[in-house]
Amino acid sequence: MVETRGLTKRYGGSILAVDQLNLNVFKGEVYGFLGPNGAGKTTTLRMLLGLIRPTAGAATVAGHAPGEPSGLARIGAIVETPAFYPYLSGWDNLKVIADYCRVPDGRLADALELVELTPRARHKFSTYSMGMKQRLGVAAALIKQPDLLILDEPTNGLDPQGMIDMRKLIVDLGKGERTVLVSSHLLGEVEQMCTRIGVIQKGRLVAEGTIDELRGAMTLTIRAAPAPQAQEILARLLGADAVSLRDGLFALKADPARSAEINRALVTGGVEVSELQAGQRSLEDVFIELTGSEGGL
Amino acid sequence: MNVLAVLNGELLKLRKRPAVYVCIGILLLLLLAFGYLLSWVVFTYTKQTTGPSGVPPGATYAELKKALYPLRFIQNTLSGGTTLGGVLALIIGVLSQGSEFGWGTIKTAFTQRPRRLEWLAGKLISVALTMLVMSVVLLAVAALTSFILATIDGADRTWPDAVTILKGLLAAWLIYCFWAFFGLTLATLFRQSAMAIGLGLAYALVIEALIFGLLGQFVGDPVRKVQQWFPLANANYLVQSFGQATRFGGDGAAARPYADATHAVTMLLVYCAAFVIVSAIFLQRRDVTS
Repeated sequence: MVETRGLTKRYGGSILAVDQLNLNVFKGEVYGFLGPNGAGKTTTLRMLLGLIRPTAGAATVAGHAPGEPSGLARIGAIVETPAFYPYLSGWDNLKVIADYCRVPDGRLADALELVELTPRARHKFSTYSMGMKQRLGVAAALIKQPDLLILDEPTNGLDPQGMIDMRKLIVDLGKGERTVLVSSHLLGEVEQMCTRIGVIQKGRLVAEGTIDELRGAMTLTIRAAPAPQAQEILARLLGADAVSLRDGLFALKADPARSAEINRALVTGGVEVSELQAGQRSLEDVFIELTGSEGGL
Repeated sequence: MNVLAVLNGELLKLRKRPAVYVCIGILLLLLLAFGYLLSWVVFTYTKQTTGPSGVPPGATYAELKKALYPLRFIQNTLSGGTTLGGVLALIIGVLSQGSEFGWGTIKTAFTQRPRRLEWLAGKLISVALTMLVMSVVLLAVAALTSFILATIDGADRTWPDAVTILKGLLAAWLIYCFWAFFGLTLATLFRQSAMAIGLGLAYALVIEALIFGLLGQFVGDPVRKVQQWFPLANANYLVQSFGQATRFGGDGAAARPYADATHAVTMLLVYCAAFVIVSAIFLQRRDVTS
């Protein structure tokens, strides 16, 4: 549904906002575009929508070049904050967009109902709360009945309940054939909503895959003392690369089926094992490892 | 088809925008107050004086009052309403485009179906139609007022011929379109309203008049040869081509415009076309980052 090849955006001579980005979003999935603030997410989404022209590379969105009317007719989008005319009502704002897109007015009521804005439809947009503005943005994106939804940080500025509602709405919208590309800097949010993730850092895609693929294989976590002696035994058994020590815990890249063998080796070697647990790396660990950043988490 | 679709949306936006009504309302108010009512009160209830602070020699209040009656409502409206109306048309043009950048709605518009140039075409047509409505309302109110005043005075209520009325309407429309497109282009260039209104007003009220006013004092006729290519001068030529609202002392050379109506219309149309082209180029080529 979305494919980019070497997509690059350079501002002036020095600022490289997006660098050789190769992105693949498949039909029917909810794809999380994850990255810290300033990583190039919004610039990428703007290029996919034809708002910004790439310096190099190419993209295909909904089967068309970015910004092509036939492609845009199949895409609903919110870029950063939803932008509407403050002096018009929610209904009139949607009517303007419906006119632009040549969709029947009958869809307006359905879209407003879906985002639970019907009671406030005739009120001016300027009187809406942030959450209502976001929901109107979603309604505007939906009136085309799009095959692809592009949502840029859709929970930005929302209160906790608003965030929960928006995430639920996005998950619901992503059911069935529709594709959703949602950008965020919030790991938990992406984890809850998305089936696949692309991680962008300094304009480059540093990882792409399902959440399980990104977390990698199962690991073992061990608390053992004395630590230097334990590290020596574990490194001998599993290899130095498979052993890391953090906050007094050993994280081992090892099949949990070897738990008994590892425990025995440590005890035999005179090490006391107080905790042994099978698990997976958290997405947060993966994100920090990939981006070297905890910003925005 | 996309242009028509955009036009529907743009007309809805303009129709429901309070600023449009405020601008047209101010124009009507000032036209009524200064173009008709104030003059009528002065000519009716005050004693005539002549000299530097009074009416020109050879003119009487009774003669001047004829400008307020139906036969000359076109001249009176155009001479009084084009500069002020131009300024308000400029503001409408600026707001119609500058607000799109200010509110970020340009990104909303450009992520719908129409191409950028189709969107611009729809917007320009909607602004032009608004200017037509503004011209019609202005002339209609002026006509009605002149009729009422002539009735009160028991004066001649003869209307100008239909061709003159139509030409007057088209002249007002062209002048307002020039100003509105000028404003829209400035807003496109600066991607905001404040700068565009500031520069537009500076041009309308100061720059052209100041430059040619000062130069004209020292250089004289050669300046007018240059000035004939500038928009404000051509708007004035067009207004003057309808004759003066009041006539006294004969049609002297000073009252005659430097260029004729054909020249003025051509130049204003060229300026309108230039504004459309400049707006199109900038809108098409620039990234939308707001």
